[in-house]
Amino acid sequence: MQSLCKFYEMGDQVVKALDSIDLDFGLNDYAAIMGPSGSGKSTLMNIIGCLDTPTSGIYELNGQQVAEMDDDELARIRNREIGFVFQTFNLLPRLNCLRNVELPLIYAGVSPEEREARAREALQRVGLGDRITHKPAELSGGQIQRVAIARALINKPSIILADEPTGNLDTATSHEIMKIFGELSEAGNTIILITHEEDIARYTRRIIRLRDGKIESDKPQ
Amino acid sequence: MLLRETVIQAITSLTVNKLRSWLTIMGVAVGVFSIIAVMTALDAIDKSVESGLTSLGANTFQIQKDPAMVFGSGHSRNFYANRKEITYKQALLFRKYMEGRVRNIGFIIVRPANLAKYANRTTNPDVAMTGGDENFAASNGFAIAAGRNLSENDIRTARNSAVIGSELAETLFPSGENPLNKFIKVNGEVYTVAGVFVKKGAAFGQSQDNFVLIPITRFLQHINENSSLSITVEALSRKEYQQTIDRAIGAMRLARGLTIKDVNDFEIRTNESLIDSFRDIKIAISTGAFIISFMALLTAGVGIMNIMLVSVTERTREIGIRKSIGAPRTTILRQFLFEALFLSIAGGLIGVLVGVSAGNILALKFNLPPIFPILWITVSMVVCSAIGMAFGLFPAWKAANLNPVEALRPK
Ligand SMILES: Nc1ncnc2c1ncn2[C@@H]1O[C@H](COP(=O)(O)OP(=O)(O)O)[C@@H](O)[C@H]1O
Ligand SMILES: [Mg+2]
Repeated sequence: MQSLCKFYEMGDQVVKALDSIDLDFGLNDYAAIMGPSGSGKSTLMNIIGCLDTPTSGIYELNGQQVAEMDDDELARIRNREIGFVFQTFNLLPRLNCLRNVELPLIYAGVSPEEREARAREALQRVGLGDRITHKPAELSGGQIQRVAIARALINKPSIILADEPTGNLDTATSHEIMKIFGELSEAGNTIILITHEEDIARYTRRIIRLRDGKIESDKPQ
Repeated sequence: MLLRETVIQAITSLTVNKLRSWLTIMGVAVGVFSIIAVMTALDAIDKSVESGLTSLGANTFQIQKDPAMVFGSGHSRNFYANRKEITYKQALLFRKYMEGRVRNIGFIIVRPANLAKYANRTTNPDVAMTGGDENFAASNGFAIAAGRNLSENDIRTARNSAVIGSELAETLFPSGENPLNKFIKVNGEVYTVAGVFVKKGAAFGQSQDNFVLIPITRFLQHINENSSLSITVEALSRKEYQQTIDRAIGAMRLARGLTIKDVNDFEIRTNESLIDSFRDIKIAISTGAFIISFMALLTAGVGIMNIMLVSVTERTREIGIRKSIGAPRTTILRQFLFEALFLSIAGGLIGVLVGVSAGNILALKFNLPPIFPILWITVSMVVCSAIGMAFGLFPAWKAANLNPVEALRPK
């Protein structure tokens, strides 16, 4: 992405949430975006995740220009190329694990038999093969987040995006989750996660620091 | 996304808030119920009226003092009330003038609500007493089941002979007792049963077989000499029907002694005119039912919209999640539209079911044949779907166009 900007107009004031951001992510990148609260981390992630479009600038994903896409094209990209993991998990509470995990495949038009098989497989990968009929309320925070990771994985996305995935978890569980991300990275997935905890960021191979909508530093580790 | 998934999702969401869904469904059901019940009853009446009227005979018309049904103000009612009775003398004159130009002319006088007795058996006071002549049976489509018809002699001598309808015969002479030559009492007067008519069935929702026919001359002498007659005329053929009506109007004016400047002071009733005037009533009732149902359905539609808007607000997060994992706008739109449609169609089906039942129960009470008003059911279901669509569209559109970032923001 090049000179990416996102402005919010608040009355007569313009908030520069992102100000001329230039970034590149390669295949199998494993990066952490860090920075103080309000520095633009979530805004950046929403744009990378095609939930939002930039005010100006270029964003190219796998050779496709995202900035000019309409809502439905963005939805298609999110479905095929992006896997989200949220701080607040964002599972549908009335559906069991299997149904939650297979949801992206419904929108991709995959047949019920294949959906179920792939959802089982994804749950197995995050170590929840024996919990498939449980509803989110019957699981612990760590288990819920693992279901969310399984959902993010299911459609073999180009990028897995995680906005403070450990923000609502205790330290031990956080490290368990980070171990899963590590395994996924080793398996070849591209992962970008947001965190403000240094010891979470330490799991990644690249740290990008934001301040006031600008890149402060971008270092491999 | 597959249709099946959309339907499953819609039903799943609706079952979460069962009471709310049911209340909304009932709103639609009430609107549909009122139109279906009224239309079922009307269709049932309609069917029986048309079959009842056409059973009078295709080439037959009647001349009476008053029209079959009078609409409108007291003024028009007075207009008819001031007309003079059609007397037996006028009727005989009329018959003389029409001699040879028609197949048949019958005179009748009807007096409703009489009490009949035989031995220790008494009927309800709902037996019609008809004064007629030997032509009555033929011109009204009655055949003789047992005994004989009234004879010319009965009429001339005003004899106390009677021919009774099948229902009256069953009431007074149950379990196969022979009614012929028995003496029955109607309003205190004694008559000899000369014959029994074949059963004709119901028309206008009323039995046509609960009556006693006596010579018209006896009716005029013993019961009411000032009764107004009804004259039944059967034309020679369908071709001469209209011509016969025109001639009958001339003959009747002559018999009533009208001058050129007088307007007709009698009415011609044909099958068509009766059906027409019934149709006027039907249209009035239908219009009323339509307006009421329309308002009820409109209210139900607003109810659906309200519920759907609440649902969209409550499920903002769900919508955000679905969008973030790639649900396109059309899918979200369809999901919410389906929920609205489901509510309205379920309401419509319940309304149809209860409405058809209620209409048929009503029809049964009036002795009418059961009916299944396909047209109205179709119309109702189409209107329901349209209402579900129309009022569900805005909430669904709102849901589909939610910004996923906003929708996912924790509150
Ligand atoms: N929808 C919005 N409207 C107005 N301002 C916003 C909106 N979203 C974010 N911002 C502003 O943009 C800046 C960056 O926000 P955000 O990306 O959420 O920061 P972070 O995730 O790093 O805490 C903040 O100053 C925030 O107030
Ligand atoms: Mg944030």
